[in-house]
Amino acid sequence: MRIQVNARNRGYEFDAAPGERVLYAGLRAGIDLPYECATGTCGTCKAKAVSGRVRDGWPQAPGRKFVKPEAGEFLMCQCVAEGPLTLEVSKFVYAMEPGACVPCATSALVSRARRLTGDVIAFSLALEEPRDFDAGQFVVLAAPGLTGFRAYSMCNFEPRARQLEFVVKRKPDGGFSEWLFGADRKGERIELFGPIGKATFDPGLGRNLLCIAGGSGIAGMMSIVARAARERYFDRHQGWLFFGIRALPDAFFLEELSAFRREFSDRLQMTVALSDEDVPASARCDWPALSFSRGLVHEVAKRAMAGKYQNVRAYVAGPPPAVDAAIRVLLLEAKLTTDNIRYDKFS
Amino acid sequence: MPNRLVCRVADVPENGLKECEVEGGPKLVVANAGGEFFGFQAVCPHQDVPLCEGLFDGSTLTCHMHLWQWNVRTGAPLGLAEAPLQRYPLARNGDAVYLAGEATALDVGELFHDLAPATAEALGALARQERYDAGEVLYRPGDPADDFFVLDAGRVEFLIGRGDRTAPGGFMLKKGEVFGWAALLDGHPVRIASARCLERSSLLRINGRSALRVLEGDPAAGFVVMRRLAALIARYLASSGAR
Repeated sequence: MRIQVNARNRGYEFDAAPGERVLYAGLRAGIDLPYECATGTCGTCKAKAVSGRVRDGWPQAPGRKFVKPEAGEFLMCQCVAEGPLTLEVSKFVYAMEPGACVPCATSALVSRARRLTGDVIAFSLALEEPRDFDAGQFVVLAAPGLTGFRAYSMCNFEPRARQLEFVVKRKPDGGFSEWLFGADRKGERIELFGPIGKATFDPGLGRNLLCIAGGSGIAGMMSIVARAARERYFDRHQGWLFFGIRALPDAFFLEELSAFRREFSDRLQMTVALSDEDVPASARCDWPALSFSRGLVHEVAKRAMAGKYQNVRAYVAGPPPAVDAAIRVLLLEAKLTTDNIRYDKFS
Repeated sequence: MPNRLVCRVADVPENGLKECEVEGGPKLVVANAGGEFFGFQAVCPHQDVPLCEGLFDGSTLTCHMHLWQWNVRTGAPLGLAEAPLQRYPLARNGDAVYLAGEATALDVGELFHDLAPATAEALGALARQERYDAGEVLYRPGDPADDFFVLDAGRVEFLIGRGDRTAPGGFMLKKGEVFGWAALLDGHPVRIASARCLERSSLLRINGRSALRVLEGDPAAGFVVMRRLAALIARYLASSGAR
């Protein structure tokens, strides 16, 4: 299916496979079409059909509130071309730079799954071909028998990765998380598209790292810290990580965070923020490498970071209210420039 | 036209934002920067998010959705923002704030905003307002590139190539956007694309050589405009990684 995109600055042409969403086909062709969540929520991938027809795979998508269907508008992440399609994107669109991790559609087997807390599971996918991705990127996954993709950030980092590692928090009506929690899924095959996402870290950055994560937003931060540790980035730069949870029983990855902290003790500080309970006396005995503080994660970070924002790049991920609150602190208190605030909002 | 009321001074807290509907006119977001009032289009040019929900520190206005930012005095884009805000001049009289005229396409445009008044006036005097119907062609490849255009209203698209071997070359839709800028460059005597109005459009046509002469008379303004023009051209050449 031939698709032509007219963007503000120029046009592009690419082919979509039958049933392939317009956004994924364009990204796969190395065209950096606008997107953020890539899963129907944010509305960033809005486009307008100039000629041809699209079929909407999820007319109830929350992101539909940003489009006017009567004007031919649609979400590229949810729609499939039903024939040759010309569409208009009211943004500047560029080709991905040489060396970018161009995403592709593939499938992978669940190779491992373990429960970390009552409502969080860590699982791994074994890839058939090794893949590169940038630290902080995510993939979208579709479980067998379920329509629609869900976005999950990789927790690990390695070049030519053969395993992708994730954490999933159980959500009441979250199709993918319900599927994962429903039974032992080891050996099952999952559809996957990626890697995508722009809240990425490269060691050439040369800035101190500030990571603020709420709940399962810690996933991408683990990948970023893993990448930085691998390159011994913290020999030259400071790092601070703030991990917000409700109470200590909700915590996970504390072992992994402690190990990073021990490896770079002076330069890397790890703080767990507990929003709903005072810090239990046992916490500091059980996790001597970590700091604990009572409060919402953006408040804890604000208290700890005062006066330390010189040459900082911040990464933020988590539920939208936590991300918005942290961004407010980073802009208004820390006075970071917007290009030094990278974020993912999960909805 | 009588001055139209925008809001009361007390409606907008110091270093705060408020959405106001001008009587019979547009919705604005009004910013109070230390007692000075500035008015802009009420929604972000990116995704129609209300700017009154944004962040404001007294000098920079930030849309909370994707962190586009603007200079609150001029509406000029900062950082990640890809488009300026349309500015509405405001005047304070006692405890009320009024709409004081409307900014022209040159005032809000990406190349010529906030120049010295005499220079802005001289450039404005060169501008000829022209109206075109949908489908009308402004120029074709090979035509002399004497004039450049500033979009006032409407929509213009570009096609690169000739005959039936053409490719889309982008489109313009925001007030103040400049095209045909070959007229401001040496060594680019002819058009390399065709420009066609997609809907009824209103444009300012300005002769390139005449505009350059005005800028030579105010080298500080000339330097600013050339820096902006270089940034504009780079934006069309850039790759995603460079941004």
